[in-house]
Formats: sequence, structure tokens, C-alpha cells
Amino acid sequence: MENGLPTEREFDAELAILANPRSTMAELMRTINDLDVRANGRPVTVGLSASITADLLGVYLRRHGHLAGARVTFVAGNYDDPLGDQERFQDAPPDYLVLLPFFDNLHPSFEAQLECLAGDFIDATEDDLRARYRLLFERARHHKTIFLGTLHRISSPADPAGQDKVAKVIDRFNVALRTEAERFGNIRLIDCEDIVRTIGSAQAFDLRFYFRGKAPYAKAFLDEFARRVVSAARGFGAHFHKVLALDCDNTLWGGVVGEDLLEGIALGPHDYPGNVFWRMQHEFAALQANGVLLCLCSKNNAADVEEVLNRHPHMVLRSGRIVLKKVNWQDKPSNLRDIARELNVGLDSIVFVDDSPFECEAVRQQLPMVKTLQVPPTPSDYPRVADELKSLFLAGGVSADSLRKTEQYRQRAEAEEFRSQFASQEEYLTSLALTVNLSRDAQASAERISELSQKSNQFNLTTRRYAVADIQQMMASPQHTVYSLVVADRFGNAGLTGVAVVRYESDLAHVDNFFMSCRVIGRGVESAIWPAIVADASARGCKELRAEFIPSAKNQQVANFFDGLGFERLADSTAQITRYTAAIDRNAFTPPPWIRVTYVE
Amino acid sequence: MLNEDALRQLMATMLDVPLESIDADASMDTIPNWDSLRHMNLVLALEDEFEISIPDEDAGNITSYKLIKLVLEELLQAKD
Repeated sequence: MENGLPTEREFDAELAILANPRSTMAELMRTINDLDVRANGRPVTVGLSASITADLLGVYLRRHGHLAGARVTFVAGNYDDPLGDQERFQDAPPDYLVLLPFFDNLHPSFEAQLECLAGDFIDATEDDLRARYRLLFERARHHKTIFLGTLHRISSPADPAGQDKVAKVIDRFNVALRTEAERFGNIRLIDCEDIVRTIGSAQAFDLRFYFRGKAPYAKAFLDEFARRVVSAARGFGAHFHKVLALDCDNTLWGGVVGEDLLEGIALGPHDYPGNVFWRMQHEFAALQANGVLLCLCSKNNAADVEEVLNRHPHMVLRSGRIVLKKVNWQDKPSNLRDIARELNVGLDSIVFVDDSPFECEAVRQQLPMVKTLQVPPTPSDYPRVADELKSLFLAGGVSADSLRKTEQYRQRAEAEEFRSQFASQEEYLTSLALTVNLSRDAQASAERISELSQKSNQFNLTTRRYAVADIQQMMASPQHTVYSLVVADRFGNAGLTGVAVVRYESDLAHVDNFFMSCRVIGRGVESAIWPAIVADASARGCKELRAEFIPSAKNQQVANFFDGLGFERLADSTAQITRYTAAIDRNAFTPPPWIRVTYVE
Repeated sequence: MLNEDALRQLMATMLDVPLESIDADASMDTIPNWDSLRHMNLVLALEDEFEISIPDEDAGNITSYKLIKLVLEELLQAKD
């Protein structure tokens, strides 16, 4: 027990202690300290800049970190000195930064003072808050992600309408903070008012330590705050769910369509329990509208399910919202494997919902990487599943490009059908009228580029991930070029789907990473952009292009990518990293003739 | 009745010191790790462990093993 890695049983037992909401603080501390030393989690650093004392947050960040497979090193800044903290953090900037301003402490007992304060004093406080945080956000650009807790009150309003002066001023100040934060792609808000509402004011604060030591938060608040931070950070990069695979009977509607028939299933806005399923379908549709790919995974006659989709008057999820249907008599794990293969996503990006404990268990056993949620036996408990789904899919944020994914995946599927009519693959590709718009250092796309770097696994040559701040920094630096490409064809625009990061060093140009979304692979786009990269490097006086392949659990399909382009392997290659070189001259790479590449500045 | 072994174990964990250093004379003055932040966590952990609520006037003042023991014994007795 004392030495080496914990056995699986010890490990499970320790995680069970962390997951148990009733574990005492001493139990948590002992377990966390032990896991910090012996567990093999991803190392992550989180810094805290708070305008009160909240060091205890570290315990809970470590708790939820371990539950997500990450080993958190927590660095607390000084009391109410976020700008000074930035300087202190400079030498070893934490990956993630938590900012926690505290309304009542903007001035001593600010809430109590407020009623009698002059308007211009409050205005000046707002201006000062805004200016300080604007400067802070500027200086904190290099952090991967910043979590900003919103302002909240600690007293209760005397006015039953709730809109007393404290509420009004807090709203105003929060608008100011939000407006400043919106200008930065790396800032995410954590709604502290909602945390206080959820756990209750009595549980959230511990005034004993507020007045003695400026530490207002009780354990319950910090625990919930940490849970939301880890969830918003997608388990510190542990998961990125993209696909929701839904069973049909007793999941999309009540009853079994094969037995109860179209008229007999429960689904509709008014009657119980059909109204619960109808509500859930709206929740699923809302996820789809936010970029989640919906699939059906059901043991049923395909015709029965089609009939419900097409003819049931209250069906919300019609075919247009569903990207792929696996309605057959195959077992669910096989269908889920097919879904992953056909959509070209990892199994770990799928969330599966089914009412049958048997099916859920089969998937948990055979495909533990799929996140499986069971529909609760009591219909009125079902909406809680929607909350969990929202936190799985949306807590990490969605970028605008993700919103169009269903449409793009469907275009791709239509293109697959189109394929068979041509004599050769090349003839088909020519008919697609493929165009690649290549951009250098496209500032406006930094967020999408970072998102793609986090999400792409299979076509990712080094699996180096970039935060928005990393991308912005490289775009600004003369030593780097960040190429991004937008692919379009006669079926539509696939959006920003590929990125190459090139670093220049005297007469060498290094490809730091090259990654693409799987939805545009197999059309030659991946080789079309290299002449342009070579031309740029040549113009800078580079003589040689270097590249690397770093194998991961998922990128086997590109193991020979650079060989295929015509690079040569260098002698210092190892099993962990294959190094490549190519001489830079005009004819280094031949682009596929069916793609038109143009520069967009 | 107060379980002194459990108390010493808990103090060692929360103050991040070896169990041996929690003797009858241990206090904020003899244990350098015992700062005000760890003290706060210690109070919260004591409340958790012994299912009691330490009143405000004691929370800040129980800065030695002996004082903690005294206050805990009183609170546990009042509970029974």
C-alpha cells in the first residue's frame, strides 16, 4: 500500500471515497494526499486569484480533478491582489486560472453600506472594478482557460420582490465584468449566484471565518464551485463528447412501438407520462441545435421507428435532426462501434442513453469508454438526465462552427452515396469541385483552431494541443505561421477543418503539428496544402522542412502520413517519435490536380 | 467519549505533519505548519468528524491540542 502505484482495487476504493458526498474532510484529505503521490493522473496546475481567502478550494479542485483522472497542483495567490498574482505566477503560469472577486468585500461590508452610499461612489467602484479586471484579463491572456466566478450577495433581500439595491448593483457590476470578459476567448464564467441558489445560502457561507479571516465560503460552496470548474474544463481535457446515441422505446417515447403501435405510445405535450418524453425530446433537440450529433441506437424494426419519426403528430426529433440511425436487431455495442466508425469519431466521444439496465450494463462492460446513462424507472426523474447531458456536452462551451455540424456530417453522408457513380476515385474527386481556402494567422479563427486541436485525435500528427492563447501568441510571433484551411465542395462548405503550425528556426522550418477534422479526410486535401507551406518557407530562406509523428492511442491512421508525402525518415527516430525531413525546393510536393488551393488573407 | 487517537490522526492529516508531532503539548507555537489557513481547515474537519458545531468564540481560540480536547469533550458531552 505504501509504495508504488495503487492496485486497481485500492484505486477504486479511493475514488469511491472522493465520489461520496458524505465523506468527511479528513477522509478526503488523506485520500487526496495519497492519490497525489501514487495515482497516475494527468498533471494539471490551477492558480487562484481571489479577493477573499478561499485556499480550501484547492482541496476540492484536487478532489474533482482525481475523479476526472487529473492530478491537480493548486497554487493560491495572495489575498485580494490578482494583478500582483499575475506577476508571481509569471515564472510558472498555471494551466488554468480561477478568478474569484467578492462583492461584499469590494469595500468592507459593502452590501450593508450600499443603501446609504452616494451614487457616484458606486459608479466609481464599478469603474475601478472594470478597469482592474480589464487589465487583469489582458495580462492573463497566456492561461489556457480562466474561470471567472460572478459576483453574488451574502445577505438575503428584505424586499420579497428581491430587487433591492444590492441586487441591482450586483447585476450592474456583473454586466460590467461580463462585458470585459467577452473580449477574451479564454475566459469562462462560473455563475456563483446559481451555486448559492442551488445549495442554499446557509450552506454556502461560514461567517465565522469571514469576519475573522476573510474566508466567507463554506465547504459546500467551494466543493460545488470546484465541481463546476472541472466540468467546464471538460475534466481538464479528459473528454470531449460529440455524439448522443439514443435508444427509442421508453427513451424517446413511453411504451414499445412494436407492441403498442403508433397510436399507443406515450408522447405529447399534455398527458403524463407522454409529456415527460416530449419534454426530453425538446432537450435532445436543443443539444442538437448546439452542435451535438444525435443518433438512434435501437433494437426495433426500422419501419416501425420510421413510422413514428414521420407520422407521429408529437414527434420532435424528426429525421432532419438525426445524423445516423442504427435501428436493427444487432447488439448495442456493435451498433455503437458502427456509429463511431461511420461518423469517424472515437467511442469515448459517445454518450449512450437507454432505459434497459441490461443494455446499459452490456455497453458498460464491453465499451467502458462510452458514457452510458440509464433512463430512470420513474418518468418524473428523467429530466435530471437532461441536466447531466447538458453538463457533459455543453459545460465546456460550444463554438459557432460546431453548431453546423449535423448539416456538415449529413453533406458528407450524401457525398458518400454520390461516390459510386464514377469510374475512378479521381474522377469522382474532380467532380466534387474541391476548393481549399488557406489562411495564414487568421486571428478571427483562433478559437475554432484551438477547439479543433483539442478535439481531433485520429488525424493528428503530434497530438500537441493548443489553447486559444497559444494560437494567438503563435499568430503574433514572426517565428511561427498558423495555417488554417477551409474546405468546400459542391455539397457545401465544411468550415475550418485543418490546421498546420509551422515554426521557423534559421534555415529550418518545423511542422509543430498538423491536424484535420476527420470529416474531410480521403479527398487529397491533406496533401494539397504542402506546396504552399514550402513556398512560404522558401521565401523566408529556409532550406529544409522538418516534421514529426508522435504515436498516440488513436492516430495510427496517419503513422505513415509524412512518408506518403515524400519526406525522409531521420536516423534519430524512436518508437516514441518519428522525425522526418524534406528538402525545400520548388517541386518538393505535387498537389492533387483536383483541388484548387487559394490564399485568403 | 472523545477518541484521542482519532483526534491526533485527524490533526496530523489536516496540519500535514507526522502523527508523532501531535503530542499533549502540541500547539500553534510548536508546530510551524499550523498557520491560520490550516487552522480553519482543522476546525471544519473537527466539526465533520465529531458531528459537532464549534461556536464562533471557540473556533479561533482552540490553537493547542489541550484546548481542542477540552472544547471537544464539552461539546460531545452536551450532545449525549
